[in-house]
Amino acid sequence: MKILILGGNGMLGPWAVKAMQDRHDILLTDINDPYPEYGGKFQKLSVDDVDGVVKAAEGMDMIVNLSVLRPHRKVAFDVNTMGNYAMMVAAREHRIKRVITTGPHYQKVGQQYEEWDFDLNPDMPPAPGTRLYAHTKALGQEICRVFSERHGIQVITLLYYNMKHSWNLGGPEAPVVYHEDMVPFSTAWQDCGTAVQAAVEVPEERLASKNEAFFIFPDLPHRKFDNEKTRRVLGWKPRYQVERLWNKDSRNPESNLTEAF
Amino acid sequence: MNVLITSAASATAQIIAGALDSGHTLRLTDLPENASGDIIANELGHESETDRLVAGIDAVVNIGYQGQSGSNTHLMDYHTRRMYNLLQAASDAGVKRYINISTLKLFQDHEENLVVTEKWRSDPPAEDIELLVAHMAEYVCKEFARDRLIQVVNLRLGWPFVGGSSSGADETAAISHGMIGESAAVALTAQELIQWQDIHVQSPVDHQRFITKTAARLLPELAGRLSS
Repeated sequence: MKILILGGNGMLGPWAVKAMQDRHDILLTDINDPYPEYGGKFQKLSVDDVDGVVKAAEGMDMIVNLSVLRPHRKVAFDVNTMGNYAMMVAAREHRIKRVITTGPHYQKVGQQYEEWDFDLNPDMPPAPGTRLYAHTKALGQEICRVFSERHGIQVITLLYYNMKHSWNLGGPEAPVVYHEDMVPFSTAWQDCGTAVQAAVEVPEERLASKNEAFFIFPDLPHRKFDNEKTRRVLGWKPRYQVERLWNKDSRNPESNLTEAF
Repeated sequence: MNVLITSAASATAQIIAGALDSGHTLRLTDLPENASGDIIANELGHESETDRLVAGIDAVVNIGYQGQSGSNTHLMDYHTRRMYNLLQAASDAGVKRYINISTLKLFQDHEENLVVTEKWRSDPPAEDIELLVAHMAEYVCKEFARDRLIQVVNLRLGWPFVGGSSSGADETAAISHGMIGESAAVALTAQELIQWQDIHVQSPVDHQRFITKTAARLLPELAGRLSS
């Protein structure tokens, strides 16, 4: 399949590319140069450049938008909102049947859900609130919904929350803390990438509608969020369960013995 | 009341400003390329200019449909990012009410025999950029209301706007200039409103397309002039 990836050189992009580059024909785009290890096709392109995205999408079977910008007010709108507009205009112009978009969980289930409820699932009506990142991503998702309803474009939205390296569960901003409270929606980067692959490859007949969203995280016991749909529909099987964060039995015993006796 | 009106150079804003001028102190604003005379040029950016624009304002009347013209990306940017900036500044400044002037055209694809009210989901077409961005502006407003940062009246007006003469026989969603101005005026002071309040308004015409009972209930000064 010929796939245009937008914003492919951020945090998620390399993992998605790694999962897909031997299986699909990828055109990677970003405003930043790719990692040196990436040997495939690349084009410098800003996701909010509507004409540029339309041009890059010519001949593609699918568009995957991995672009993200959080803190800056103008750029956040340019990337998170206008980027999805550009993607959908391109999909409409070239009759591309499926697009994949990504974002944070709270573009769907904002604070008003998260602070109150459990079993939160990706089919809930969006309530992002006004937090810049969630709000701008939610606007982008709404644009996708409108285009999907009008033009029959299959939209798959992958929602993430807390990403971790499988070898360092502390993440980039803080050292790891075991056996205390954790974000009950944590996923290893490798699995974040394979989820994109699963969304690209899921057969259309398994999707209930033209606009489907999925929470991407492994099985966690908290029941704060619900990943059942992701496993059932996408067939996505995370390799890393981040279990050391939530299961005290997985700690190293001080004696270095098994403590079985 | 100190009232800020956006997209002030637009026809809709001028109708509303004409209706509010005698009873309120108006501050008019528009983008620099549109502003002239009494209209304050403002980009609605996220810097302090927008904070100064809303300082001392009690209510904002925002033209959320056909207040601007230009490229598709300009319209999308204006009705998302700049709306966000304005709402953020207004919320921070303690502005109590935000009236978003939207359009009943968001329901134009529904068959005319359907009893469309505020409880129906709007259905913006992707190919009509003016309607798509009007919908997006509503979305931005709603989230500020959801977070209880500001109280929003989403006033969806009929079409076409009719001046002095009566509407045509097939203009079943028409609204008069007088009704536009009056509905904005009474929405400024209406009391029984929830945090996010959709209100549909059109003039009473033969074969009237949209139900206006919510407007009659919540804007009682209008009730006598609306279809019962």
